[in-house]
Amino acid sequence: MHRYRHLVLIGVVIAAAVLTLAAYGSTAKKHDAVTISFMEAMSSGTQKPSLDLLTKRFEAAHPGITVNLIAEPNYGVLQQKEQASIAAGAPPTIGQAYENWAAGYADAKAIVPLDSYVHGKTGITPAQQKGFWKGVWKDLYLPDGKIWMWPFNKSDYVMYYNADKLQKAGLAVPKTWVQFATVAKQLTKNGDWAWSTDTGTLSAPADGTIVYLSLVHALGGTWVVNGKPTLDTKAGIKALGYLADLKKSGALQIGTNYPGETALGAGRSAFDLSTVAGYPYELAADGGKFPMKVAPLPSGRNGQGNSLSGTNVVIFAKSSPAERAAAWQYMEFLTEPRQTAYWAEETGYLPVTQAALPVMKRYIATHPYQQIAAQSLQVARGNPPYAWWTVAEGQIAQALQSVLDNGGGPADALAKAQQAALAAANG
Amino acid sequence: MSAVDGAAVARNLRSRRRAGASGIRNGRFALLYLSPALLIFLVFTIGPAFFVLYISLFDWNLLNASLSRFAGASNYRKIAHSSEFWHSIEMSAYFVGATVAGSTVFGLGIALLLSSRGLVRRAVRLAVLTPYFTPLVATSIVWVWIFNPQFGLLDSLLRLLHLPVVGWLQSTTWAMPALIVYTLWHDLGFTVIIFLAGLATVSNELREAARVDGASYWHEVRDVVLPQLTQTTLFVIVITTIDSLQAFTQIYTMTQGGPLGATTTTGYLLYQESFVFYRTGFGAAIAVVLFVVIALFTLLQLRLSRRPA
Repeated sequence: MHRYRHLVLIGVVIAAAVLTLAAYGSTAKKHDAVTISFMEAMSSGTQKPSLDLLTKRFEAAHPGITVNLIAEPNYGVLQQKEQASIAAGAPPTIGQAYENWAAGYADAKAIVPLDSYVHGKTGITPAQQKGFWKGVWKDLYLPDGKIWMWPFNKSDYVMYYNADKLQKAGLAVPKTWVQFATVAKQLTKNGDWAWSTDTGTLSAPADGTIVYLSLVHALGGTWVVNGKPTLDTKAGIKALGYLADLKKSGALQIGTNYPGETALGAGRSAFDLSTVAGYPYELAADGGKFPMKVAPLPSGRNGQGNSLSGTNVVIFAKSSPAERAAAWQYMEFLTEPRQTAYWAEETGYLPVTQAALPVMKRYIATHPYQQIAAQSLQVARGNPPYAWWTVAEGQIAQALQSVLDNGGGPADALAKAQQAALAAANG
Repeated sequence: MSAVDGAAVARNLRSRRRAGASGIRNGRFALLYLSPALLIFLVFTIGPAFFVLYISLFDWNLLNASLSRFAGASNYRKIAHSSEFWHSIEMSAYFVGATVAGSTVFGLGIALLLSSRGLVRRAVRLAVLTPYFTPLVATSIVWVWIFNPQFGLLDSLLRLLHLPVVGWLQSTTWAMPALIVYTLWHDLGFTVIIFLAGLATVSNELREAARVDGASYWHEVRDVVLPQLTQTTLFVIVITTIDSLQAFTQIYTMTQGGPLGATTTTGYLLYQESFVFYRTGFGAAIAVVLFVVIALFTLLQLRLSRRPA
């Protein structure tokens, strides 16, 4: 009998454990407990605490969904980690990605299209869709016409200038590229110049190349037509000739390691054309020596050309349907006006939807450059979403190096770039 | 055979057998002790090396290996017809030739100057050796600023002398020499150490005898010191050649292979193709070719080091 008592006790304990687990399971099911992971590179300055806070707010508003942030130190490491995790068959649920990364991921069947989420039951309304800046919305598509990305940390290019220099010279802030050349040449005297930039190299194009691409658009040119590069258009040659003329006059200087910021901050140049996300760095370089102001990039005959910076978010294909649904809710949450406004105010990136501007009224009153840059998101274009664009962009940087620093002709340099880009596009 | 002889042979045999058994046991234990290190070496060095050889035979899809296609020797054929590859070989030869010649000549010269004793010479020795122990990335960035055309030290000096300034890292003519100057500045300490060690073994009696015979310092160096430094010099040449062929960090930090490929050595091209443009199979084939070249130099070094002085 004594023996049986032991057996009964064990039986009761097992039954209690099973019942507890079952009860826990049913509770979890009720709340659809899902854990998703987000591989991102928002680890510096105010970016990390801001994303942490937004994620906590999301988790509080969506019980049962846990978001694990996997922060990487920079985009280079982020890309390596994402690629390594895809190759190993263990990617995160979602990750930040540039357009050409997303194109490569889609080719490898590593990410999923988002149309069914964007236009599904938990998707966005037509009014919400209309609120997205045109440039930001167009940037979500791959050439197959499907939405593969969702916006996150976006910025574009602006013109920083030394207001004192322009005032002393009695010059107005240039609004067109023609005016910019005139003003730039007038400001080039006594050992000072107008603008410094870094073209970058074949393997690492920099700001100078991006500004050149914006200039091509402003002059009515194209980068890609029907899935093929168009680097040697008349507008492209004219844009490169324009920069070569500025260089020849001494108004444009080429350097490395953020030379625009350094020269403007040192009071040697009058302008820097760079991304609005770099505002705090420009301000630090200035150090209060002069009033640094911000204006939109100059326009050409085709209006303002501008380039989108920053990344979107993609959902990786290894995730389960429940994880994808939870990930979509999180991604959508981050782009809602309140969240994107908070993100912009804290980090210097731009709100991805116009609907955030009323929320940011007080902030914009003290940071008017945010509105200037945000308005440019209407026209800004992202990297063409082709995996081969990495090669094409590198070739453009090389064409700029050839013309601006090594005496090459714009037509020859761009013809060579086009040939190499076309070879890459044709595989 | 006498009884005594027989006993001695039996003892000998037993002792040999014991030694053999203990040898096997020692061998097994040695293998056991070595196995963690061997395993790490196999998994992280030998395995990946063979895997590189394997993927060099494919049109490799880095993100989805199942989409990779077998390409046979086509990546190697592409290398043979690639103008970028042959340009990188030229640039490598330029870089390796200049750094090896510079390291050897300046290294030997400085070692000769520093071989005598004295407080100042010790300080100079420390100054020459210090750059070698500094991190490549950090000092490369410092040198990027020294070479900066608008704010750099070098161009400021040129301006002071009313000479035309140079875009050191932007010019196809000057980028490689600038890179070589940095590399020599950083690596010279190593060759100086090797030459100083070599000089310590040079016979003082012979040097004194030459001096007694009226030889000038130059003659003493040429006819007495240098012949005794042949092995050291060969070692320096081979080691600096291998190091220069593998140079990457300073190129990545200072020029990123530019301008217009003027500093794209084969090592950098391998990185660019594999990790920027994701032509992984082609990049792997370049890695295999580079491996063969470096292996040949290593064999040469082994052979030369075995030769009697």
